[in-house]
Amino acid sequence: MGSASTISRQPEVDNTMSDPTSRPPLVLGQHDFATVTETVARIPERPGTTLAWKLSFAVAASLATMFVVLTGYLFVTGIGIWGNNSPVFWGFPIVNFVFWVGIGHAGTLISAILFLFRQHWRTSINRFAEAMTVFAVVCAGIFPAIHVGRVWYVYWLLPYPNPMGMWPNFRSPLLWDVFAVGTYMTVSVLFWYLGMIPDLATLRDRATRPLPRLLYGLFSLGWSGSARHWHRFEKAYLFLAALATPLVLSVHSVVSFDFAVSLIPGWHTTIFPPYFVAGAIFSGFAMVVTLMVPAREFFGLKDLVTLRHLDNMNKFILATSFMVGYAYLIEVFMAWYSGNKYELFTFINRALGPYAWAYWTMVICNVAIPQLFWFKKCRTTPWIMWIIAIFVNIGMWFERFVIIVTSLSRDFLPGSWALYKPTLIDFLMLIGSFGIFFTLFLLFCRYLPMVAMAEVKTVLPQAQVHHRHAAEEHAPSELEYAR
Amino acid sequence: MSRQGEPIADYNPRYWRTLDELANTPEFREWIAKEFPHGVDLEGLSRRRWLQLMAASFTLAGFAGCRWEKTEIVPFVHRPTGRIPGKPERFATAMDLSGEVTGLVATCVDGRPIKLEGNPVHPSSLGGTDAFAQAAVLQLYDPDRSRDVIARSDGQWVVRSWEDFTAALRERVAATSSGEGWVFVTGATSSPTVRRLRKLLEQRWPKAQWFTYEPLHDDFVRRGTREAFGVEARPVYRLNQAKVILALDADLFFESTGHVRAARDFAATRDGNPDRMSRLYAVETRWTLSGSSADHRLPLSPGEISAFVDALENCLATLAAGESLPDIGSSPDQSPEARYRAVFLKAVAEDLWQYRGRSVVAAGNWLGPEVHAAVARINKRLESLGGPVVYLPVSDPMTARTAESLHALHELLVSGSVQNILFADTNPVYSAPLAMKLNQLIERIPFSAHLGLYADETALSCRWHIPMAHFLEAWGDAETWDGTYTVVQPMIAPLWGGKSVIELLSLFLDANKNAQDWVYETFQARYPHSQAADWERCLAQGLFREENRQLNSLTELANTAKREIPGDAVERFVAGEKSTGNSVSVLLTADYSVYDGRFANNAWLQEWPDPVTRLTWGNAAVIGVETARGLDCKDGSVIRLEVSSATLDLPVVVVPGIPPRTVVVSLGYGRSAAGHVGGLVRENIPPVGVNTYALRSDASQFVFSGVKVTKLPRNQPLASVQDHHLIDRVGLQGRVERLGELVREVTLERLTDPHEPYSAEEVVHHPPLESLWPEHTYDGHRWGMAVDLSKCIGCGACVVACQAENNIPVVGPAQVMRSREMHWIRIDRYFTGTPENPRTVHQPVMCQQCEMAPCEQVCPVAATVHSHEGLNDMVYNRCIGTRYCANNCPYKVRRFNYFYYHKDLDNPRNEVQKMVYNPEVTIRSRGVMEKCTYCVQRIQNAKIEAKNQRRPLIDGEIQTACQQVCPAQAIVFGDLADPSSAVAQLHQSNRAYGMLAELNVKPRTKYLARVRNPHPALQAIEYREPAATHEHGA
Repeated sequence: MGSASTISRQPEVDNTMSDPTSRPPLVLGQHDFATVTETVARIPERPGTTLAWKLSFAVAASLATMFVVLTGYLFVTGIGIWGNNSPVFWGFPIVNFVFWVGIGHAGTLISAILFLFRQHWRTSINRFAEAMTVFAVVCAGIFPAIHVGRVWYVYWLLPYPNPMGMWPNFRSPLLWDVFAVGTYMTVSVLFWYLGMIPDLATLRDRATRPLPRLLYGLFSLGWSGSARHWHRFEKAYLFLAALATPLVLSVHSVVSFDFAVSLIPGWHTTIFPPYFVAGAIFSGFAMVVTLMVPAREFFGLKDLVTLRHLDNMNKFILATSFMVGYAYLIEVFMAWYSGNKYELFTFINRALGPYAWAYWTMVICNVAIPQLFWFKKCRTTPWIMWIIAIFVNIGMWFERFVIIVTSLSRDFLPGSWALYKPTLIDFLMLIGSFGIFFTLFLLFCRYLPMVAMAEVKTVLPQAQVHHRHAAEEHAPSELEYAR
Repeated sequence: MSRQGEPIADYNPRYWRTLDELANTPEFREWIAKEFPHGVDLEGLSRRRWLQLMAASFTLAGFAGCRWEKTEIVPFVHRPTGRIPGKPERFATAMDLSGEVTGLVATCVDGRPIKLEGNPVHPSSLGGTDAFAQAAVLQLYDPDRSRDVIARSDGQWVVRSWEDFTAALRERVAATSSGEGWVFVTGATSSPTVRRLRKLLEQRWPKAQWFTYEPLHDDFVRRGTREAFGVEARPVYRLNQAKVILALDADLFFESTGHVRAARDFAATRDGNPDRMSRLYAVETRWTLSGSSADHRLPLSPGEISAFVDALENCLATLAAGESLPDIGSSPDQSPEARYRAVFLKAVAEDLWQYRGRSVVAAGNWLGPEVHAAVARINKRLESLGGPVVYLPVSDPMTARTAESLHALHELLVSGSVQNILFADTNPVYSAPLAMKLNQLIERIPFSAHLGLYADETALSCRWHIPMAHFLEAWGDAETWDGTYTVVQPMIAPLWGGKSVIELLSLFLDANKNAQDWVYETFQARYPHSQAADWERCLAQGLFREENRQLNSLTELANTAKREIPGDAVERFVAGEKSTGNSVSVLLTADYSVYDGRFANNAWLQEWPDPVTRLTWGNAAVIGVETARGLDCKDGSVIRLEVSSATLDLPVVVVPGIPPRTVVVSLGYGRSAAGHVGGLVRENIPPVGVNTYALRSDASQFVFSGVKVTKLPRNQPLASVQDHHLIDRVGLQGRVERLGELVREVTLERLTDPHEPYSAEEVVHHPPLESLWPEHTYDGHRWGMAVDLSKCIGCGACVVACQAENNIPVVGPAQVMRSREMHWIRIDRYFTGTPENPRTVHQPVMCQQCEMAPCEQVCPVAATVHSHEGLNDMVYNRCIGTRYCANNCPYKVRRFNYFYYHKDLDNPRNEVQKMVYNPEVTIRSRGVMEKCTYCVQRIQNAKIEAKNQRRPLIDGEIQTACQQVCPAQAIVFGDLADPSSAVAQLHQSNRAYGMLAELNVKPRTKYLARVRNPHPALQAIEYREPAATHEHGA
């Protein structure tokens, strides 16, 4: 393979095969450094926007606006506009919170853990996944903040010196949540931004109009691509990756403590931390697939985000589906084995009670449907995997619904049992949160480099010092060699 | 902008605008009244004019706005002796509800009554009250109470003054010397002064006609006793003397005379002491409080109850003859139902006979006169007259709750001879049979006036309406069933210039005397040897104590009291009623919330759940499981009841234990002119519930047989506070499995087993409970509570008392349907046993003030914390409303302000309602969690009091609101650190257990297991635990 200067597509190359004698390429097409830059950078550099983008943005921004307006109504009227009641004091808002936090797990996993494990295929998708993480955490952060009864005092959750002489209650898992999600949000944004600096500099250098040049220039922090810059960049990136790795496990563990530390049957379970983390990775990967399949199609990124990438992600989904399924099973087993009648009742009630439809939706979407990924055709056919990923998203939303609503609606005293009925506003705010997510996501697609150009270049054969035969021998490339 | 805030009648200007005003001439008063007359006609305005008016109003609103009447606050120059601003004062008074008297002590803060308690020295209450007395303060400050004397002229209501009315009245009075053409209609009352005024007026006006009318009458009781004793009488039960009680659809703790006292007396026999322990049998159609407290309950349709009484009378005759009863319950070809009936009958008869002299048979007011006569004969045969059962002659027509008068009144009105009619504290237009067309008849009368708290249905048919003074605003008196003279003192000047019945009647006699004079005169006439100090003491105590007063109980039957009972009565009863196709019997009952409809505008009572159906805000057709299956109905299905005179559509609520082919509906709803709470048709506020008086006719008052029932293809959601939705099989199963641990019950036999001591705590086995962190330690008090489930009758007075004490908001039916009711104490009701014949338990649940409170641990802002006296304090100021605490509460006793539930107070019209609030309890705003505090304000007050007096607190000095009101004394509060305190003793009882204590939350409230005293023969049949197979209840 020569260093072709033109892009010639070779769709017939199948890089999804796992042949031990030859390492499949991670980038298809006759790409070299220049064409990779060209492929990615031309998207934000395009002067106008396409009609499809405009339409999508119009829809997403309208939904986001609706969310903002409803939030205003909520602040003026009170959270009684939702369906929350007694005993189900937490309803859709917390379901949505856990759902979005879960989604936000794929980014860090791909960025940090796969980076530390030298999984080079991550380079094509990590930027995208990290962006998704940041936006999902934004959505997640909104809900707990607005769900409190007196939102004007929500800052009392923060430990700050104050004339009341009051600290928050450090025994409360909700407070741990504030720290965990806050830390995660900070590290995710930093990680995302740091990784983007070389690419922002590329965009700055290519920019032809003054405003983009100014803005990209501002945010690329004077990146010049010098060896010293690269040296520090890589150290910092490695350091952040190490820092972010425990967060992947900690955030959702802490979120699960909201439930596990309480004494409500169905919540009070030691399996929750790993179960929530597995579920979060599961839902996060599903969301990456959901977004990536159309994005690579629309923005012409099929060479960079190849079927092999999607195949790998689908394998992750399949694996985490098993973990989640195992958790469902072991929960039921432990409920029976513990001999605790309240615990056992909660699980029988989930499976056969008034919310059985939600429970079985969850099981089918999260355990049954992902089994299709045993078939390679399903793992490598974009439209099939997209549909399966959508089911996983639905299933994971219902998982949180089942955990929160079924446990609360029937706890200890039958005299206080009541069913939970969401209101129209509950649904509109759920949809509105997707509006916020997609608004941010569409802006990202339009104005920022969707693929980490600098990192993808390191996995090109050309990145190897002796790339001619290195390409033939498929020697592993290292980030250190990337220039 | 109306002038509602200005009491015109008492207009007494200091500064004058015109000479007319200074002179207070009638012209000026009329001008004032007409400035913004009520009912100003806005129809017929042109669009242009309308817009002009609206624009002007809108602009002017910015200048003045609708404001509460401005008053000057002047501090006392010389403070009256003993008066400390802000310090609550307590005065004795009493409430007379249709002749049923409850002695009360009113707590007044700065001159406004905010809370009523039972008068502990008064024999009617001994400190407890019912829910109606608790809700009376809300009625006092009801902004819908009528505020002006109003008169109807040319179809328009205009505001007039009391002087206008007296002038018009004088004119009418002057026209007669004998009272010809005058009719007075009042409600039943025990007031000696009102009765005296009536007698005085009757002497002066012999031709005037007097009617007493009560829609919830006891005519059948008095007719039955006339048959038995020759005189009309009213039975009263002294249940502390009773060993065996049979309640024949008699609501001993709600409808019977002396019901508050009855609850106390009954509960005293239910503490598990085998010497005292009574056995209560209930044979009933509906669910009464007696039925839900009973050891055995037999559901019978209305027609079968008299068959049961016949059979019982035969059985007792057999036993009295020295023979033993035949073995009627062991025939192999009997159906299980028939066998159960036979065993039940035999058990009741033998029990009653065995404990004769200590047995009571009581019958509900709606049962026919022949049943009441039979019951009197049975009580006589059981040698209980003068002992646990007392029949007191009803001598004064005003004390009788009668509706027979209505028939005569109607005939008189039809005859057209009535020229003047006066209604005082009664609302017959609402409750009379529709066919009477009472409203049209009244409208024809030249002079008609209505005195009432509200401009109700009757008022709207009259020409004059005079606001009535609430009993807390006026002088009065009352007499309890045992003849105790009770004084009713005003706690506050009439808010809206209302007049009492005494003041109205005194207009006809001597206008110079005020109500206090009349009352004092009555007192002097009654106790001629009394001195001024006696009157003072009477005012202080609320009653006049008489030594050695004997009850004038009837003990001998009249000769006519014989009745032939068919010899096969037992067989007929056991065989049961034959099914009669598609028709059902309908039973109309008093309502636990609104009584006969008079409390329809009381939001506390409207939102107060029915003890058994748990419904709020409206009535429903209560049907049994079998009837529901037959009609294919669920909770909320709408059915149509058709009798000859009327058709009614009602939502269904399915309750186990209602006999087949029977529909029970309560009266008192569907008010069209109650107010903004209960329904006000002229302002498009739909009535709450359905007016079931519409079924009534001259012939039938309570029971309607052969009613056609059809299911309509629609549903109506019900505002129920429990079982908000239909419960499925899984839920039922779960409920059955855990119920025995949550509500522990023990039979008397097991409790007193000498070989194996009972311990309620051992019902649940759990590993040793260890704490995760150091437990709290205490130097001083450790507050705790004990709730005796054996004493609790489920009456729910505590719920309203708590609401009054703690400023708990009312949320309305829509919020109740969303399961957001705010009551700090709730009474969970559970059924056990079969759906056809279940047993009920009531369990009051309030904050258990856990020692290791799960709520405290999870609150992120530390808004709920442990006090150094063991209370679980809620800091409203700190709460941001994450609701995590409520999620983590295993008892779900925390309540959240989902909205700003006091929004209605922003309306200036409702300003007066703010006066009801207890100034010692914060009004919680939106977004804040709240819950039971063990009435911490009362604890602090008592502590301050004790400290000022340099003495330790006395056990029992602090009473929580729920404890103080409880007529059964089921709740005990006190200091656990004091081992001799009542609560500490109860916590040591072998019946004591902590609900869900196995969660290691260490609740400070302990329950005392309910003791049942089943008959061995019935226990063998009933107490087999069935599987959860039925669809409702369990």
